[in-house]
Amino acid sequence: MNSAMVGSGTGENAAGGADSAVNATGTGENNDLYPLALLMDELKHDDIANRVEAMKKLDTIALALGTERTRDELIPFLTEVAQDDEDEVFAVLAEELGKFVSFVGGDKYATVLLPALEILASTEETLVRDKAVESLNSVSLELSQQQIFDDFTPLIEHLATADWFSSRVSACGLFRSVIVRVKEDSLRKNLLALYLQLVQDDTPMVKRAAAKNLPSIIDLLTQNPDLSTSDDWDYISNMFQSIISDNQDSVKFLAVDCLIAILKFFNVKGEKAHLKDLLESAIKLITDEAWRVRYMAAERFESLASQFVTEPEFIKELVPPFLRLCEDNEGDVRKAIAEQIPGFATLLNDSDLVITKIIPAVQNLSMDENEAVRASLALNITNLVTLMSKEEGITHLLPILLNMLKDEFPEVRLNIIANLKVINDVIGVDLLAESLLPAITELANDVNWRVRMAIIDYTPVLAEHLGVDFFNQHLSDLCLSWLWDTVYSIREDAVKNLTKLAQIFGPDWCRDEIISRLLKFDSQLLENFIYRFTLLSALTALVPVVSTDAVTEQVLPFVKHLTDDAVPNIRFSAAKSYAVIVEALVKGGNTTYLPLIKETIIPSLEKLTQDTDVDVKYFAGVSLKKCQSLLP
Amino acid sequence: MMDADMDVPMQDAVSDQLNPSIMEDSGTALQHTVSNTNDNNSNNNNNISSSNNNHNSNTHGTNSNDNDEDDDDTYNDIEFKPGSSGIADHKSSKPLVLNNSSINQLDSWIEKLAKCENLSEDDVGRLCKMAVDVLQFEENVKPINVPVTICGDVHGQFHDLMELFKIGGPCPDTNYLFMGDYVDRGYYSVETVSYLVAMKVRYPHRITILRGNHESRQITQVYGFYDECLRKYGSANVWKMFTDLFDYFPITALVDNKVFCLHGGLSPMIETVDQVRELNRVQEVPHEGPMCDLLWSDPDDRGGWGISPRGAGFTFGQDISEQFNHTNDLSLVARAHQLVMEGYAWSHQQNVVTIFSAPNYCYRCGNQAAIMEVDENNNRQFLQYDPSVRPGEPTVSRKTPDYFL
Repeated sequence: MNSAMVGSGTGENAAGGADSAVNATGTGENNDLYPLALLMDELKHDDIANRVEAMKKLDTIALALGTERTRDELIPFLTEVAQDDEDEVFAVLAEELGKFVSFVGGDKYATVLLPALEILASTEETLVRDKAVESLNSVSLELSQQQIFDDFTPLIEHLATADWFSSRVSACGLFRSVIVRVKEDSLRKNLLALYLQLVQDDTPMVKRAAAKNLPSIIDLLTQNPDLSTSDDWDYISNMFQSIISDNQDSVKFLAVDCLIAILKFFNVKGEKAHLKDLLESAIKLITDEAWRVRYMAAERFESLASQFVTEPEFIKELVPPFLRLCEDNEGDVRKAIAEQIPGFATLLNDSDLVITKIIPAVQNLSMDENEAVRASLALNITNLVTLMSKEEGITHLLPILLNMLKDEFPEVRLNIIANLKVINDVIGVDLLAESLLPAITELANDVNWRVRMAIIDYTPVLAEHLGVDFFNQHLSDLCLSWLWDTVYSIREDAVKNLTKLAQIFGPDWCRDEIISRLLKFDSQLLENFIYRFTLLSALTALVPVVSTDAVTEQVLPFVKHLTDDAVPNIRFSAAKSYAVIVEALVKGGNTTYLPLIKETIIPSLEKLTQDTDVDVKYFAGVSLKKCQSLLP
Repeated sequence: MMDADMDVPMQDAVSDQLNPSIMEDSGTALQHTVSNTNDNNSNNNNNISSSNNNHNSNTHGTNSNDNDEDDDDTYNDIEFKPGSSGIADHKSSKPLVLNNSSINQLDSWIEKLAKCENLSEDDVGRLCKMAVDVLQFEENVKPINVPVTICGDVHGQFHDLMELFKIGGPCPDTNYLFMGDYVDRGYYSVETVSYLVAMKVRYPHRITILRGNHESRQITQVYGFYDECLRKYGSANVWKMFTDLFDYFPITALVDNKVFCLHGGLSPMIETVDQVRELNRVQEVPHEGPMCDLLWSDPDDRGGWGISPRGAGFTFGQDISEQFNHTNDLSLVARAHQLVMEGYAWSHQQNVVTIFSAPNYCYRCGNQAAIMEVDENNNRQFLQYDPSVRPGEPTVSRKTPDYFL
């Protein structure tokens, strides 16, 4: 075969090339050869780390050698290296060679890279092979039609018919580079025939690789819908039949993606003749006895069903298998299908069916024994509400959601709360409020701080929906209490939350409901510097969103008071706050507060720059500089 | 005694195949690694396995004559000689004062390290040189003011260290005292120790880093830091710089004159805190003697002094800790060094507390971590936490790994 000749040919060259380079190292007469000699020394180093490092510098060496000598000396040498070293070195070499086309003088000479990459694509180590395949594919982009025909296709054939399975696995990854570049029908047919052989290989590793790569090959044909012939599709159909009836689950489950790819092609072509058969294949996969296959079908359900969107009857035929997945005895299958429910219901486009068939399934899943299933259901189940009228939503969906808000697993409750917006849009949040409050309070006190954090993050959204009265009555105490949490991140988030609330409810609300209440806070708690720090951060964060009066009358005295604090951390935080305050006071060219700034803030900062603590000095200095730059 | 005497849960939790990597530190392992380093530095895997073989075939508490020989062998090799990195060749006679450009440089390093990206070898060299000029002026018993947050072992679990700062607050806003064992075992020893040292140089008054038994040339060759440096930098230079720097770390701290903090525990040769002040600490952790004990000892249910199963340091009973606290007018000895499932554990009727800050130690022990906040009125509060949640990693998953397919 062609490529075999090329391979052995370069083998001899390689030996010659390496010899001449070695001679050059030995004599050391020619300084030009220094880079290559150095590389080769490094590549022969005992320590594998040195060899790997040397390989990573290949591009520099190639650049130094120039294109001609890279072709004549470096590449043959590397082809030899590719046969005798460790996998770590191979992995780097395989990756580097993918970027080498320009170093050997452009696409015209790109094929000199193929022998080395072919060897690497035949190694046993998966990592090396994957990198070699990736590099071969990127090199192939630069090849001309003729080079594809003369060099690349023979290389694929060579790998695909090799004795050892690893070469055949690699071959599976290369077809996508050529399949649509081959314009002659007979040639493409040969390639597909070869691919069919790989799909029907004896070793499962090869079958898996072939089945895995098939969707991307079909997708390429879909992008060029007029290229493939019916002969081609006979082959593809055979491949699909082979995969779907394989006796190994690990091959069979790959049929789901192949099926989706095939359906996409026929949809693009507008051919409906095969749809019925393909629907049966889909149902066969969905109801397969292997859970792994059902899992894959469940995970891709919406994408699979959407391929039948032109035939509403077919989509309805998917309802019974869909419901079977919802009742699957494997938790992972139910978890996967739970996420697909709103998507499939939308495709169904029939609110009666949704209410009579889908809602009961949702009801069951919402009480599933597996918490991961319930959490997955909660992720986007609220979207179902958009498919029904307000009344239907209240009768059928709301009770389920209210129950889920009481779920013992926090993630379920959080997922529902995170997606309440859509419920609010359709049926209004008032109806939820009664169940919502206990759910929120409970989450707010969860032992896991990330759960507490998640509920804090949702409060601004809730605040917007519920309105200021409801908020003041039920939630504002909670929002303030988060400031005194033992976990720093919760306190920090609580501060940010107050800022967001202030933006929603306005500066007056912030002054009356937040700042005034904060300043009246329990002084015993403030004996701990952590809470003084938190209070300072909260007030500082609110400075930009409240009126300047509130800043000068309420915030500034508190900050000033803290500049005498016994704890240095508090003093430098106060110094940082000054800069924020000054920025707010002079905003928009306001000159009203200049005397105040010059008489109060600047002297206080200057005093802090003389502090005994080096960090207080530093941060006071930074703040002072910033304040002075803000003053006119 | 706490229910979590480290050796027991560790060995229970660990199945055989991981034993070599997770076996509790022991003096025996410590003594035998180094003898192997002459063989071939690059071939460190062999190094580790052979040292563990030695370890397994030896009973606890090898006699110390062997050690001395090993010691001599080791340092004949210039590669492993203390000080060979040169970071302490031009020590300053005054503590380091930061100028604007060094502050900017440190801030940019800290920003990089916070993303778990390691510094270049040259930058590590610069950082270590600066750190020598900070640490050499710290006392053996570093006085510390309240408020401060006291933390235990971290062991290269960088993401969990970031979690620690999420719980306790970022430095410099919160003051920290770390009681050693920053490296080994976890996958990010380089990033962890670089980050802490950079913070130490940038904010010397806000953070204190004590020396643990793993901050040592010998131990790090067995438990991962040496290999990690080799893997991430291609040479042992970074390891040499950090281990040379470790010699300068203070060994104990005294919080508000009331809480004595150190990595391991008490020593039969130390009766007063003043005796610690007299030690010459700038050296490799010795195999015996007071400095070794402070970094290796453990509290025990039995009274008096006992032989430590680790092969280094001692075990000490409640009578010892009560006497030590009474003599030195202390309220508490705070130490780390042992895995405790709740992250902290009292012992000796609240005369000693163990704090351990590596959650799910070695990514498999299932323990919580904890830190101890001491406020300005000396009130103490323990904060417990779990491993950090890594972005991109599923929190709930039972997907079948590919090799089952």
